[in-house]
Amino acid sequence: MTFKGLSLEDLALFLSDHLAKQGIDTVLSGGACVSIYTQNKYLSYDLDFVLLNYVSRKKIASALQSVGFREDGRHFRHADTPFIIEFLAPPPSVGEEPIGRIEEIRKGRMVLKLLSPTDCVKDRLAAYYHWNDRQSLEQAILVCLARSVDLREMERWSVKEGMKEKFGSFQDLLRRRASPRGPSAEAADQRKSEKT
Amino acid sequence: MLEPLLESEKKEKVLLYIHVHGEAYPMEIARAFEYYVNTVQNQLQKLENGGVLYSRLKGKVRLFGMNPRYAFKKELETLLAKALQFIPEAEKERYYTPRLRPRRTGKP
Repeated sequence: MTFKGLSLEDLALFLSDHLAKQGIDTVLSGGACVSIYTQNKYLSYDLDFVLLNYVSRKKIASALQSVGFREDGRHFRHADTPFIIEFLAPPPSVGEEPIGRIEEIRKGRMVLKLLSPTDCVKDRLAAYYHWNDRQSLEQAILVCLARSVDLREMERWSVKEGMKEKFGSFQDLLRRRASPRGPSAEAADQRKSEKT
Repeated sequence: MLEPLLESEKKEKVLLYIHVHGEAYPMEIARAFEYYVNTVQNQLQKLENGGVLYSRLKGKVRLFGMNPRYAFKKELETLLAKALQFIPEAEKERYYTPRLRPRRTGKP
């Protein structure tokens, strides 16, 4: 079996489907979802699968070894692909809350379960909120610009996480990026209207 | 206090230590409780794999702390805070009262 030249989405689809057939149900999360939703405007090399139920490491290793992956510390790698596979403990959550509706991508008979765009943004915002990670903030913005997301739900969740202020900064940045003429044109408009 | 739940006295102590100190490295915890460092590392690894703890490198030292993205963080901290109330004062003083003031280089 070869994985040469396989895109992140196709590899995720194959693995998710292969694992499900072995009784290992997963949801793709993290930067890989950002890559898929933004059509690689941000390219992740990490495929983070969150387990839906507790499964032994041995069972996961055996399922992946059967398609040529080898265990490398906490990760799994394959010589044909630069992508690194990791499994996160259940339950799938964003901050303190369980994830909402799970998105599905289907190709032929294969199914990939992944975070919805709204949960994907929450997941990135959680990294920005708790680790001050600006890269995650940028990724959250990219997903918001590429896909339809529920900003009201994000605000409710952010307040619950105790991050109302940081949500405000995120919203300001998103507004500036969403403006088609850019922030300088907006500022010029404002100066013009102040004069008249 | 929480051994019946956690099935390990060592795991409870590691969690309580991190809960009180915010972040800690394996050798620090091992020294505090006079455990082998491998034993502590093993417990930390299990907790990190389960998403309960995070770890980050600071220089050459790997620090562990409560993962703010762990779904049950708040509830776990409530449980640990309650467990701490039942620990005898002398033990609390010895292991779970962090020294916050600086200590000059060279002082024993």
